Amino acid sequence: MSAAADTVSAPPPPQPKAGLARIAWQWRHNPKAELWLAWCTIVVFYNIFGIVFFGLTRTQPPPQPWWAAARVAQWFSDNHDGLLVGFGVIFMMGAFSVASTALITYSIFRMSVSRAFAWAYLIIYSLAAAPGMLVTCIALVVGALRPDRDPRLLTWLYDMGFLSFSGTMGIFLVGSVVWAVAILLDKNRVLPKWFGYLNICNALTEVVVATCCIVKSGPFAWNGLISFYINMVVFAAYTGVFITLLQKMIQREDFGAGVMPAFAKPARH
Amino acid sequence: MANVASLRPEADQKPIAIPGQPDMWVLVMVEALTFSAYFVVYIVWRMRHPELYLESQAHLSRELGVADTLILLTSSWSIARCVQRARAGEYQAALYSVFLTMGLGVLFAGAKLYEWVSKIQSGMYFTTNGFFSFYYFLTGMHLLHVLVGFIVLGVVVYQLKSPTRQNQEVIETGATYWHMVDFLWMIIFALLYLMR
Repeated sequence: MSAAADTVSAPPPPQPKAGLARIAWQWRHNPKAELWLAWCTIVVFYNIFGIVFFGLTRTQPPPQPWWAAARVAQWFSDNHDGLLVGFGVIFMMGAFSVASTALITYSIFRMSVSRAFAWAYLIIYSLAAAPGMLVTCIALVVGALRPDRDPRLLTWLYDMGFLSFSGTMGIFLVGSVVWAVAILLDKNRVLPKWFGYLNICNALTEVVVATCCIVKSGPFAWNGLISFYINMVVFAAYTGVFITLLQKMIQREDFGAGVMPAFAKPARH
Repeated sequence: MANVASLRPEADQKPIAIPGQPDMWVLVMVEALTFSAYFVVYIVWRMRHPELYLESQAHLSRELGVADTLILLTSSWSIARCVQRARAGEYQAALYSVFLTMGLGVLFAGAKLYEWVSKIQSGMYFTTNGFFSFYYFLTGMHLLHVLVGFIVLGVVVYQLKSPTRQNQEVIETGATYWHMVDFLWMIIFALLYLMR
C-alpha cells in the first residue's frame, strides 16, 4: 500500500482537470491507485476468460462427456485453432486472476476477524487456479497441438481437461465458505451480511458439480442443466455481485482498522 | 449488527418489521429460486419419461416420506416456539425448544440415511435411472441444507445461553433459515413422493 497514513508529508498538488496529467496525478497521489488497479485487472480477466472459454475455445458450455474416441478427435480438429490461440492467451494472461484473490484477501484483512481467514482464502485460491483452470488449458492444448495424435490419447486428454475444470469445484466451495464465515463474523462492515449468505448459496450450488464424475449424460453430467447451466448462472450472478461490492469497498475504504464508513457518492478527486 | 428493516405506515399502527436479519431473506430467496430451477428440470425430465418415473417412484416409501414431513413440520413448530419464548424473555424454555428442533433434525437426517441405505441395498443407486438421480440429488442437497441448519441452530443456542447475548434478531434469523429448510422439503416431498 502506498498510502503512508502515519507519516507526515506535504499535501499533494492540486489535481489537473483532465487528460494525461490527471491520470498521472491519480497514479502518483491517489492512495487507492493499487486497489483500483487490482479491481480493473479483475474486470479485464473475467472478460478475457469469457471471450476465451466461451468464444474462442468453445470449451464452455462443455461438450458432451463420454464421446467415442473418433468423435473426440473430431472435436479437437474442429476447434484446433481456437484452442491453441485461446489458451495461448490464457497462458499469457491467466495470472491476472491473482488480482481477484488479492483484492478479496485484502477485504478479509480489513475485517475484524482473525487473519487466519485471509491466509486460508489466499492459499486456497492461489492453489485452486492450477487444477481449476490451468490443467484444463494444458490438457486441451496438448490435445490440439498434434492433430494426428492417437484418438485414445485425445480421449484421455479430453476427459482430464473437462473433469479437472468441473470436478475441482470443491476447492472454490471451501474458499467461498471461508469468505462467507469471515463476512458474517466481521464487525467492521466491510461487506454486507447478505453477501456472506450469497457466498453460502454459491458454495452449496457448487456441490452439484461432484455428480459429473459418475454420470455420463443428462442433467448431472459435466454439461448438464443442473451440473453446469444452473451452477453457471448462480456463479455468474455471484461474480457480478462481488465485483460490484469490491468496487464499493474500495470507494468506502478509509485505510483504518475499525468500522468502514458507509458508502457515499465519492467526490471526484 | 442489528439491522431490522422497518416501515412506519401510520402513527397509530404497529411498525411492520421483517423477522430476523433482512440479509437472511436474500439467502432464502436465492435458495428458493435455485431449488425452483431444479424442480423445473425434474418436471421436464419426468414429462419426457413418464412411465419410467412412475414405475421408479413406486419404490419410494410414502410412509417414510410422510414421517419425514411430520418430523420437519414439528421442528418448524418447535423453532417458532423458541422465537416466541425468546420474545417473552423465557430464555431457558426457548433453549429447550431449540434443542428439540435439533433433535428432530437429527431424527430427520437419520430417517433419510436409513431410507438411502435401504434403497442402495435394494439396488437403486444414483446412476440407476433418471428418477433415482433426481431422488438422491434433491434429498441429498436438502440434507446438506439441514446440516448447515445445525450450525445455524448452534448459533441460536449460543445466543440464548448467555444474558449478554440473547439477540432476538439473530434468533429470528436462525428460525427463518430453519423454516426455509422445512419449506423446501414440502416441495421435494410433493414432487418425489406424491406427484403421480
